Amino acid sequence: MADSPEAIKKSVRTYLFVGGLLFLGTILTVAVATVPAFDIGVHGFDKWDCILGLAIASTKAALVAYIFMHLNHEKKAVYWLFGSSFIAVFFLAALTALAMWDRIYDAYFYSGR
Amino acid sequence: MEIPYIVTPRKDTGLHNSKIAIWLFLASEVMLFGGFFSAYVFLRLGADYPWPERTLPVLPGLINTFVLIGSSVTVVFAWAALKMRQWRKFQIYMGITVFCAVIFMVLKGLEYKGKFSHQAVRLQDFTVMEGHLAYEKDGGEYVLDHNGNKVEENLIYVDASKFTFSTVRFHKSWIEELLTQAEHKKTRILLSEDLVAVTDEGKGGVTLAKAGETLSVDLLERIQKAHLAARSHNSAYRTAALRQEWKTAKANNPDKKDWQLTASVGIDTAALAPKLLTEISAVAFQVDPPAPFVFKPRDIKEAEGQSRLRDDTVIDGKLLDSPMVFHHVDAIDFQHLVMRAVKKGVDPILAIEESWLINNSPFAKEAWEWHQKKVAALEAKLLEDYGTTTDENGVVKANREPTAKERYRIGWKELAKKAEAEGQPKLSTFESLSEEFRGPNYKVRGDAAFPEFSLPREQVKFAAKFTPAWNTYYALYFTMTGLHGLHVIGGALVLAYYLFFGKKMYLENPEWLANRVEVAGLFWHFVDLVWIFVFPIFYLM
Repeated sequence: MADSPEAIKKSVRTYLFVGGLLFLGTILTVAVATVPAFDIGVHGFDKWDCILGLAIASTKAALVAYIFMHLNHEKKAVYWLFGSSFIAVFFLAALTALAMWDRIYDAYFYSGR
Repeated sequence: MEIPYIVTPRKDTGLHNSKIAIWLFLASEVMLFGGFFSAYVFLRLGADYPWPERTLPVLPGLINTFVLIGSSVTVVFAWAALKMRQWRKFQIYMGITVFCAVIFMVLKGLEYKGKFSHQAVRLQDFTVMEGHLAYEKDGGEYVLDHNGNKVEENLIYVDASKFTFSTVRFHKSWIEELLTQAEHKKTRILLSEDLVAVTDEGKGGVTLAKAGETLSVDLLERIQKAHLAARSHNSAYRTAALRQEWKTAKANNPDKKDWQLTASVGIDTAALAPKLLTEISAVAFQVDPPAPFVFKPRDIKEAEGQSRLRDDTVIDGKLLDSPMVFHHVDAIDFQHLVMRAVKKGVDPILAIEESWLINNSPFAKEAWEWHQKKVAALEAKLLEDYGTTTDENGVVKANREPTAKERYRIGWKELAKKAEAEGQPKLSTFESLSEEFRGPNYKVRGDAAFPEFSLPREQVKFAAKFTPAWNTYYALYFTMTGLHGLHVIGGALVLAYYLFFGKKMYLENPEWLANRVEVAGLFWHFVDLVWIFVFPIFYLM
C-alpha cells in the first residue's frame, strides 16, 4: 500500500467516526426490529421490514468495505476480483430460483395423495 | 531467495502480491457464505412449517455484534500503528482485537450450550411444547446410569421377552449395553434354539451354537462370520446360474430384446439347493425371565408387541409406560397446528380448543385462556392506533392485526408475566438481564410459572433439542454461525501469531509485517461483514 504515515494519521479519525456509525447502525437495526413504532408495512415481520433491515445491514457492510477495507481507493484488479464473486453468487441463486419457478410437472406428486 | 513483491507493488496490478491473494480468497469466501445465505432464503420461502421468527435471545447476539465491530476498529488501528512504526500501540490494539475474538467465542459457546439443553416436542396433532426435561430422581437423589451420568426422563421401557438380532447389522456397543442391563435386572439373554448350519459344501450341518448359550458379541460375531461366508458362497453360485440362464435365453431368442425376456429368466433353485450353504440372517434369543429394558428414543422405533432398534434388532415384548417428562414447560406453540387447520378449512381457535394439550393439561388450558385475553387486548390496541379500511366491497378490515406468532404462540416471557400477575416473585434487574442470556430463571420464578408435565409417549410425534435435528432454521443457524465461528477462530489465531511472534519480523522488515497485518485485517473485516448480515437475519427477522 502506498499509504504514507501522514495519510494514515488523518484516516484514524475517519476510522473512529465510521466505528461510531457502525455502533449506531447496530442500535438502529435492533430498534427497527423491536420497537413497534418502526414497524413499517403490515404488523409483524413482512417484506418491508426485511428490506429495511437488509438496507441497514448493507449500509453497515458498505462502510466496513469502503473505509476499513480501503475499497474506496483500491486498484481495478481488486474491484474485478472481489466484485465478480458477488455476480457469481447472484447468478447461482437466480438459477436456483429459476428451478423453483419452472417446475417439472408430475401429476402424482402434485395430486396431494 | 527473497519473495518478490511482498512490499514493492507489481507493475501490472499496482499492488503487492498478498493483497491480490487475500482478495481472491475473500472472493471465494463470498461464494461460500453467499451460498448459505441464498440457501436460507430458499428454505425460508419454501418452508412447510411456521418459520421461527425471533426465537433467539437478541442480547448475546447484539453484544457479539458490538464486540466484533469494536475488534474491526482496533485491528485497523493496529495496522495504522505498524505503518507509523509504533510497536507498543500495535501490540495493545492487536491484543484488544484477539481478546474481542475470545469474548465472541465464549458468548457463542454459552448460546450453543443453552440450545443443546433446551427440549422441543411436536405432539401428534402438531402442537409444539418446549422446555427442559427432568432428570430421574429416586427419593430426592439423582439416579446415575452405569457411566455415572444423570438419566434424562425421556426413555423407552420395553418388557422384553425375546430379542432377534440381525447377524449382519447388530451394533456391538448396544449388545454390550443389553448385557449390562440384563445383569442389573438379574435376567439372562439365552439363545432360543440350536444353531445348525451347513458350512461346507456337500457336508452335513454343523452346530454353531447350542440353545441356552448366553448372548455375547463373540457369539454373534461367530454367527456373522459363518453367515457372510455362506452368503458370498451362495451368491457366487446364484450369479453364475443366472448368467448361464441369460446366456441360454438370449441364444434361444436372438430377435427378442432383454426386457422382453426378463420375466421368463430365472434360476432353478431346487437344482442349486444341494450346493448352497445355510444363511442365518437373524438369530433369536430368549430373555429368561422377561425384564424391562431401557432404550433411548432415537435408537428405537417402539410399537406395542414388537419394537425395532436402528440396527434391525427386533424386540418382542410389551411397551411399558415411557412418558417424556418435562421438568419445566416454558413455551406452548400452536402455530403449526393452526397452519394445518387453516389448510383444511378448520377454524384455528376451534382446532386449538380441541387439541390434546388443552384437554389434558389444566396449566395449558389456563395459559391459553390468559393468552387469548392478551391477544384480544393487542387486537383492540392495534385497532385503536391504526384504524380500519373499507374496501370496494364494503368489507371493513383492520389496518393492523396480530401476527400468527402473537396469536398462537405462548412464549416463556408471557408465562413469566402471567405468573407475576398471579403473585409469583418479580425478578431483579440483574436476574432479568441474565434471563436474556440463559433463558427463564426457573429457580426464582418457580414451578407455578413453568410447571412439570408428563407427556405420554404415544402423543410424541417428533422430539429434539434445539439443534439441527429440530428444523431447517436451527440447521442453518448452527451451520452458519458455526462456520462463521470457525472463521473467527482462524482469523484470531493468525492475528495472535503476529501479536506474539511479530517482533522479529518487525525488526527485520517492518513494511512486510505491516502488509501481512493489513491482509489479515482484511480477512478480519470480512468476518465482521458476514456477522453484520448473520445477526439481523437469524436473530431479528
